[in-house]
Amino acid sequence: MRARIEPVPDEAIEDEKLRALIRRSEEAGVPDGRFVRLLAHVPGYAEALHDALDRSLCSGSVDGKLKEIVRVQLARLAGDPYFGALRSAPAREQGLTEELIEAGSDAGFETDGRFTPAEKWALRYAWLMYRAPKRVDKAFYDEGKRHYSEAEIMELGAFIAFHYGMQLFFGTIDMSPERGG
Amino acid sequence: MTEDLIDEGIEDRAASPRLAPAEKAALDYAELMATAPEKIDAAVYDGLAEHYTAAEIVELGAFVGFNIGYHTFFGTLDFFPMFSPDGRLVDQDEARRIYGDRPVSLQAALPADRALAAE
Repeated sequence: MRARIEPVPDEAIEDEKLRALIRRSEEAGVPDGRFVRLLAHVPGYAEALHDALDRSLCSGSVDGKLKEIVRVQLARLAGDPYFGALRSAPAREQGLTEELIEAGSDAGFETDGRFTPAEKWALRYAWLMYRAPKRVDKAFYDEGKRHYSEAEIMELGAFIAFHYGMQLFFGTIDMSPERGG
Repeated sequence: MTEDLIDEGIEDRAASPRLAPAEKAALDYAELMATAPEKIDAAVYDGLAEHYTAAEIVELGAFVGFNIGYHTFFGTLDFFPMFSPDGRLVDQDEARRIYGDRPVSLQAALPADRALAAE
């Protein structure tokens, strides 16, 4: 099925920086090459948004496996099959399983013994941000500060905002992953 | 750009003679993305394509998504601009008094199975 906006075909992408981003995407898994090809309609956006997405997943001090679970949880809320089907290769190599992703993507994470209190707070942060943002209040942040530094909370909040925003957009264009998810 | 035109584009654009059909289509798209993204179907994109190139639609969609994501996050931080509308540097208490009730957020209309009733 065709997406509502088609990615730019490989042969039409001559910019070597964009071609390098596509190659990097094929290694990292999130995003895949179609993300770059779609945004290649606006090359400056492709570079900037790929860089932001890549850094959000691969740098920072919050555990990458936890951020991968948060990312999939948000993709399901956004109704985005594209990002919902992608999986981070580094997170998988670090031992993240589909079972744990499923557990963190469902409200049942609150009582799941596989998650620490800090991880549950992070998962709750993502769970509430767009379902009930008024519940993300001072008391909620005070609780977060018992588990994370302010830098880590900003890392998580910005991660949630960036990924949910992109997932909302991608969810409307009906685009499938490069390898069928 | 004036505050008056911003308000008109948000609250009363359908009847506005100051906004072009292309601008109204872009504003409708942004509002749907925030409040009912599941209603953005092929017809919405076909409507945008009457006014915009694929590059412009991608630019618009990424811009809208990015802003929806970050506005909600920043809203939870109880965080206000450093300057008053007339350009004075103000502290956060004064900024809260100036900006605390505006803008009125678009209320996301998540499907019932996704929204939380207490919000």
